[in-house]
Amino acid sequence: MPVFMRPISTKPDLLHASRPVFLVLFALLLALLPTGCQRASQQTTADQAPEITAVLTVAPDPALVGPATLLVQLTDANGAPVESATGISLKGDMSHAGMQPVLAEASGGAGGVYQAQWAWTMAGDWFVTVTATLPDGRTLLRRFDLAVSRP
Amino acid sequence: MALHQPQTSFDLLRVPGLGRLLRWRWGRLVMQLVMLALALLVIYDGLTGPQLASQNIAAVSVWVHYRGLVMLALLLAGNLFCMGCPFTLPRTLARRISGRGRRWPQALRNKWLAVGALVGFLWLYEAFDLWASPWLTAWLVIGYFAASFVLEALFAESPFCKYVCPLGTFNFVASTISPLQIAARRADVCRTCVGKECVNGSPQTLGCGTELFVPQIKSNLDCTFCLDCARACPHDNVALAARKPLSEFIPLPVRPFASGAAATRLAASAWPQRWDVAFLALVFAFAGLANAFGMTPPVYTLAATLSRALGTRSEALILALIFGLLMVLLPAALGLGAAWLSRRLGAAQDRRANRGSLRVVFARYAPTVAPLAFAIWFAHYWFHFASGALTIVPVTQNFLIDHGVTLLGSQPNWSLGPIMSEDAVFLLVLAALATGFLSSLYALSRTAAAEGTLKAARRAMLPWLALWMILALAAILIFSLPMEMRGMIG
Repeated sequence: MPVFMRPISTKPDLLHASRPVFLVLFALLLALLPTGCQRASQQTTADQAPEITAVLTVAPDPALVGPATLLVQLTDANGAPVESATGISLKGDMSHAGMQPVLAEASGGAGGVYQAQWAWTMAGDWFVTVTATLPDGRTLLRRFDLAVSRP
Repeated sequence: MALHQPQTSFDLLRVPGLGRLLRWRWGRLVMQLVMLALALLVIYDGLTGPQLASQNIAAVSVWVHYRGLVMLALLLAGNLFCMGCPFTLPRTLARRISGRGRRWPQALRNKWLAVGALVGFLWLYEAFDLWASPWLTAWLVIGYFAASFVLEALFAESPFCKYVCPLGTFNFVASTISPLQIAARRADVCRTCVGKECVNGSPQTLGCGTELFVPQIKSNLDCTFCLDCARACPHDNVALAARKPLSEFIPLPVRPFASGAAATRLAASAWPQRWDVAFLALVFAFAGLANAFGMTPPVYTLAATLSRALGTRSEALILALIFGLLMVLLPAALGLGAAWLSRRLGAAQDRRANRGSLRVVFARYAPTVAPLAFAIWFAHYWFHFASGALTIVPVTQNFLIDHGVTLLGSQPNWSLGPIMSEDAVFLLVLAALATGFLSSLYALSRTAAAEGTLKAARRAMLPWLALWMILALAAILIFSLPMEMRGMIG
């Protein structure tokens, strides 16, 4: 044995025999960790208008890297267009963390359709989050998943 | 036994204030507690926060900031992450409550398992899109704590760090290019030291967890920078010393330990002459390429082709095939081929040349890829870091707002992102790759200088030079391609 190896302890170790117990306890502790429980107070991501239908249309379709036009169409529970929503913002995130999002404001509203100029900066999986303030003051928030390809 | 005393003029442990803090008994624990707090934050937000990666602290901090900052630390100092590693905290607890377990099996006392764990980790990263899942990222961190705890509870030493941990394995190899290294201030003090507390420990302090003996350390491989050796040494004879660039790859003159005579001989390398360690260096390089390749258009074409040919849509299987080829088979085949050719060419030129077996030639030359490999990883991780370092600001704002704290504003500023322009990032990538290649070339030439004659040296290094050039060109090609970020099989 090399001279620098650790000396083996000869003192009795009462805890040694309990090792399996500690392992089981640790496994139980892990199992009790919260799994998939979402925070209740996610103020920045709350949708207050689930009955409103939002449809996102992109042009060109399918989406290609480069400039694009995004159309958001809002209709209420009766199918009537929601024409006077305000502060309609779009945020495009890539699936990978750390990529700078694409941000835009949509305008218009005739027929419940709002339009924004856009630019897909990279091919891949995108998530477009639409936020709007409805005429009654509630916040609408929807997320759309789509794939962007190279031209 | 040969003792090594590097020539050095700077010792971080002698810096006023900082040196004392680092050597302080609780110095490492303070760093670990800070890192533990961050790890708990990652687990908390990963499990309970928004599951969009770009809005979650877990995904952003782990896949952007950890990777970018760890490369910077390795480049400027050394293995600072392992120094403050939070995963060893429960490990220490396990050691206390479980007593001494058995020794790590002899058959596993090598880097083969670490190579497998590193490749497996990179496969998991792609196959399960860890980069896109805060929830899985949190569970990855929990898994790390669990693995470290269980292995420490079962075995007497610290096998997790030395033989298993993929992060540690990555940092060990990458830190071979780092400017700092643990060293004995005076080799003669170690020669007469009775207790060898730096490795054996003392009643008050732990010794080296990976069982390195300070005066024999010539490489940062397996050194966690924990500084337990510095705290344990009763002679205050341990330095965290600056060393010459690439010094690990330059054959060193050493003195025989027993005699203490002035006579010197040439050591072949600071790295052990082993298949597993040399193969690890090659896998580290090829994995860097494969990992970056995984974000470019050709890999999606390749995956789609394989998917059609094999009649499967299993992304895990397709990735296992691609990564198995790129990270294991290719480095094995090309490395062995280069070693065989290098041996043949050198011997053909000079039969008296210092050739050695295939293993010796492989182990002598393969590690010289480490600087280029580091550059490839640096280029990749800094692409992400430079492109999105500031995204941590709105993500933190978002987190605080979620908890009713508006200290940093009432709305996240999502327009924040890069710290460098795209052009500047590309220049940085090119500069890193060029520096890495030239450094590997220098290491290669100095290693080859140990051959018998100049001609033999030139011929022996030729296959490795060709291989490193192919790697460097492949890296430039990959980083020139447009990046994509999506699932593998559309």
